[in-house]
Amino acid sequence: METAFAELPLALFTTLAPIGANAFIVLFIAAFAGKLNEDQLKKLDKFSAVPAVVVLVGFIASIFHMANPAGAIGVLSHIGTSPLSNEICAGIVFVIAMAVYVIMALAGKLGEGARKGLLAAVSVLAIVFTIFCGMAYMMATIISWNTPFTIIQVLGFGLVGGSALGSLTLALAGVLEDALKAARIAVIAVAVIGAVLAACGLIGMIVTVGGMTNGTTTGAALTSGVTMYAACSVICVLASAIVVALQKGTAALPAIATVLAVIGVFVGRLVFYALQMSVGISMM
Amino acid sequence: MAKYAFYFDGTRCTGCKTCEMACKDFKDLSVDAAYRKVYETAFGATTRDSDGCIVNSCVSYTISMSCNHCDDPACTKACPTGAMHKDEETGLVSVDSSRCVGCGYCHMACPYNAPKIDRSKGHSVKCDGCADRVAAGEKPVCVESCPARALDFGTIEDMAAMGQRANIAPLPEPTHTNPNLYIKASSDAIPSGSVDAQVVNPLEVM
Amino acid sequence: MADNNLSSLSRRTFVGAAGALGALAAVSGSATEQLFGSSVPVAHAATQEKTTWGHCAINCPGRCSLKFHVVDDEVAWVDTYTSKDASFDDPQPRACLRGRTYRRWLASPDRLSYPMKRVGARGEGKFERISWEEAIETACSKLKEVIDKYGNEAVYVPYATGVSASTARPFNRLLNLLGGYLNFYNSYSTAQISCITPYMYGSKGNGGSSFNEAENAKLVLIFGSSPTETRQGGLTTHYDWVHLRERTGAKIYMIDPRMNDSIQGHSDQWLPINPGTDAALVAGIAHYLIEKNYVDLDFLHTYCVGYDEETMPEEYKGMNMSYYDYIMGKGYDKVEKTPDWAAKITGISAKRIEELAEEIGTTKPLYVNQGWGPQRRSNGEWSSWAIMALPCLVGQIGLAGTNNGTREARSATNLESLPAGTNPVKTSIPCFTFTEAIGHVEDMTKEKMGVKGADKLSVGIKYMINYAGNCLTNQHSDINRAHDILADESACEFILGIDTVMCDSLKYADIILPDLFRFEQYSQISTGSDWGYIITGTPATSPKFERKTAYEMCELMADWFGVKDKFTEGKTEEEWVKSLYEKSREKTPSLPTWDEMVEMGVYIEKKPNVISMKKYVDDPVTNKLDTPSGKIEIFSSKILSFTKDWEVKEDDTLPGVKTLMPIPAYIPEWYGVETTTEKYPLVLTGYHCRAHLHSSWGFLDDLKAVNPNEAWINPADAEARKISAGDTVHVTNEFGTIELLAKVTPRVIPGVVAVPQGSWHNADMSTSDRLDKGGCINTLTTQRPSPLAKGNPQHTNICEVVKA
Repeated sequence: METAFAELPLALFTTLAPIGANAFIVLFIAAFAGKLNEDQLKKLDKFSAVPAVVVLVGFIASIFHMANPAGAIGVLSHIGTSPLSNEICAGIVFVIAMAVYVIMALAGKLGEGARKGLLAAVSVLAIVFTIFCGMAYMMATIISWNTPFTIIQVLGFGLVGGSALGSLTLALAGVLEDALKAARIAVIAVAVIGAVLAACGLIGMIVTVGGMTNGTTTGAALTSGVTMYAACSVICVLASAIVVALQKGTAALPAIATVLAVIGVFVGRLVFYALQMSVGISMM
Repeated sequence: MAKYAFYFDGTRCTGCKTCEMACKDFKDLSVDAAYRKVYETAFGATTRDSDGCIVNSCVSYTISMSCNHCDDPACTKACPTGAMHKDEETGLVSVDSSRCVGCGYCHMACPYNAPKIDRSKGHSVKCDGCADRVAAGEKPVCVESCPARALDFGTIEDMAAMGQRANIAPLPEPTHTNPNLYIKASSDAIPSGSVDAQVVNPLEVM
Repeated sequence: MADNNLSSLSRRTFVGAAGALGALAAVSGSATEQLFGSSVPVAHAATQEKTTWGHCAINCPGRCSLKFHVVDDEVAWVDTYTSKDASFDDPQPRACLRGRTYRRWLASPDRLSYPMKRVGARGEGKFERISWEEAIETACSKLKEVIDKYGNEAVYVPYATGVSASTARPFNRLLNLLGGYLNFYNSYSTAQISCITPYMYGSKGNGGSSFNEAENAKLVLIFGSSPTETRQGGLTTHYDWVHLRERTGAKIYMIDPRMNDSIQGHSDQWLPINPGTDAALVAGIAHYLIEKNYVDLDFLHTYCVGYDEETMPEEYKGMNMSYYDYIMGKGYDKVEKTPDWAAKITGISAKRIEELAEEIGTTKPLYVNQGWGPQRRSNGEWSSWAIMALPCLVGQIGLAGTNNGTREARSATNLESLPAGTNPVKTSIPCFTFTEAIGHVEDMTKEKMGVKGADKLSVGIKYMINYAGNCLTNQHSDINRAHDILADESACEFILGIDTVMCDSLKYADIILPDLFRFEQYSQISTGSDWGYIITGTPATSPKFERKTAYEMCELMADWFGVKDKFTEGKTEEEWVKSLYEKSREKTPSLPTWDEMVEMGVYIEKKPNVISMKKYVDDPVTNKLDTPSGKIEIFSSKILSFTKDWEVKEDDTLPGVKTLMPIPAYIPEWYGVETTTEKYPLVLTGYHCRAHLHSSWGFLDDLKAVNPNEAWINPADAEARKISAGDTVHVTNEFGTIELLAKVTPRVIPGVVAVPQGSWHNADMSTSDRLDKGGCINTLTTQRPSPLAKGNPQHTNICEVVKA
């Protein structure tokens, strides 16, 4: 696991940015469910900054990953070929859409249609961005990562964390109880689908990596070092989904769910980085 | 202009690391950095039978390797900025430090442990095939340093005539990136993909 | 080994150049900043770059070429004699990895820059800068005091190998002008084999065949040698070995407890053996050869004495004292040395011994060679002798493709050295016994400690000049005992130390003088192996700080004593180097002129193959050996007569024998495979590693990084002790404890731990455990000298290993 800690900035980025992004899906559900009145929606608009801040903290963390952040703009120059360029591109598109929505929401300038439209767009882009976050690690020469499990777990982590953070946002805006009246099933569905994807993605990866070997190590050696962490991650995200399912109107339970999700996802991300295994003799 | 390749003679290399130190001195690298490294593998067993007599099937050999300036480099594909690039004329792969953001994807992607991020320099660093020396008609400093004459550098055609394309363990199958490293294998060497041969000197080749 | 735990290695976190250089600059101020601060590519671009030739001067003895690229009076990088299109056969004395680090040593913040005086206890390493005047005054007045009070026999120049060149030993010359000094004989490299070879082959022309002669052999046996590790350069045995291996059609066996680096890639050549048992292997082979009638009786009866009764000296006939009688169980211990007997001792199965013996008996030419590992042991005289006896048994000496069982010949081009003058003191001690000569002078007798030129020492050593040497502690044995002897300022009263960096031995100096490298001055050296070469060096840079050459130091001291003119004969060192070369040219007129030598830097000479003892074998009557019999002695009456009155220790000979053994018998080591204990169940043996040559370079982080200080341990022994690769371990025995990393590898046999020699001792000597965190093997070696040579048995050790 020690190698994974060298990737702390990346682990923070891939934890916070997808959770923040996917939280907008819950806002989208709340807005579409139709049980919230205009006042409640305006209140919710005011709190749209909460997931946005989480996204931005994630992006700021990613800067610390680079040895020379000054040239960061250059990372867009290989869109199409470099999976990292693609990820950042998807991230920027998402952030722009999110910014438009949040700025207009905070300014109180959103009508119902605009809100719905923007939230729909932001939600779709959140999922796209999350998938690209996973795809960024799909390199042919890193055999342990170059599987669908990489995308599945990132998406799963994003959804379960997003459902918790989104619920917390609604609760902070004081609209959770009413929103749940119509949208409970949808929110639970997001959480449960996320938790299942995350668990399957992580466990699937551990099982496949366990059978791999390269010139410097064996997959078994790698996985034996992460088993406990992976179990912790899976338990946290499953617990987070359960808490989301049980939540009522107050902020307490969604807050617990969010904390559980952040811990679970963060540990899961560290496990992911610890499972890096080259086809060759890359030394970590 | 011809594209270049390295040649490694595994029957001659004794693992002395002169190539590595010559490079470190010429490139003024810090203690912890090396562009060329010497990988040791050892497998099999040395045990005693019930009479106390030694029974051995132990095999060990070395590979001296820097960047292989691959035909299909994983590092350039992963690079988001294009800083890691392959010279169209010489085929040498190097880092444009002014464009590199130090994201480390080249390091992650390379199956030959070539690029590393030097955080104090703020960019990726690796063997550039001594491009300046090569342009001046010399060979890379490592090649000319070898006391055992186990290294060479020249056109791909010339190097390919002497050995096979990097196909011994613990190196991966050459099909992943098509490395420009041609090897004359020692009798001890086993093919790429054999799980027996692992790098046993990790401390020396980080 | 598949289970390497790499997880502790952190990716992308190595300290960058700027950080490291910053640290250097912080340590030593602007000078280092200047030296290391600018990156090389910038230096390359500078127009003022010049190149100078120089040579490595460490006791390798490759002495490879160094080509310094110098910008603004600072070395930018170090190249070597090389060319891009050199073929495999082109001779090029290319520097090894150590030579390639000279810039880092030269500009190291640890480099000594000023004269210093000791202000702490001996060994503590506390010094204060003083002026040259004070340093010379102190060193000289103390020297005068010692000579006046105790006589010149109390002055000693310990064994040291840090600097070699034609003018590299000026201190002996100086002391001879002052009435002389106590001599030493032997070396830490070859004490036992150098002692025994003249008993067997006589003192002249007893050297081995060159490596390239093995290209004509059909079977090559190498005992205890790693030619690529011990001499790493591009025109010394590293290259010669690789060349011969590729060119010979012979089958090769490398007999070693460790699959040394000279075997890698050719693992089928490894014949693992228990350390210290070479003589038993030879005995087992001899038994098979005798049984199968493979022994060459014509050769043995014509050229040798003592193989069997027929050639025993008259006075020893009929006493079952021949080698044959020893092998067949008729004499001495009366044990038949069958392959089964040998198997139990050597760890080589009887079947494998028989197969090898069959090959030896049926394959000609046979080239038998040994390194200096088998002889650096408590039974080293007899081990090396036995290996030399092997080719005699099958008549494989003096012919094309053969060798006399000693180490390969090195053919150097003739080059005169600075005349040392004549030493009025005739007394000489084995270099290994100098600590006794300081702390236990009563033991320094002819019989006990091998004093020559006198029956015993009349006075202990009171004054030492330790020039470029680390044999006071680090490269001597039982460092903890050496410390106690040296720390006593009433025993050896004064130590003058001269070096480039603060090695462990230098910490015992009372005054330290800062030396210049040979490539910071005019210098010339000659060496060779299959090829001969001379390197002529000019100063790469001007002298920095207050460093001086050893010659200048001696000049200052000679001036103090009023013998400057006699010392210099009116010449500067540069003039000496030149005049010595001119003298060499008179003897070898084919040598180029001095100016040509300076210009070319590296002069290489083709040397003919050397066939060991060809002259003798061609005509044994005219060219008889200077042994008592004039022949090769497999039985030595001289050993019997020399040791007949000795109080021989039981474990120095065979049971029931009162003298040392007069034949090349197997004698169990004091600390060996047959004498491990419950407390120390493992055998510990030293070896030469890549990172340092003896202790030279031992402090350089760059070399430690590519060659960590590791104890080799077999997976079976490691597992039993729960030790994994890369673990920090403690290796312990009755003499001390060292700390280093574990290399868990099947390249060393079970029951044996191999630790590289020459790592820098690093212990707080004021603590009770004196844990040596530098991992120097000599913390664990004994000071008991070998029986006959009184040499260092530094590979004879037992130990236990535990996870730290």
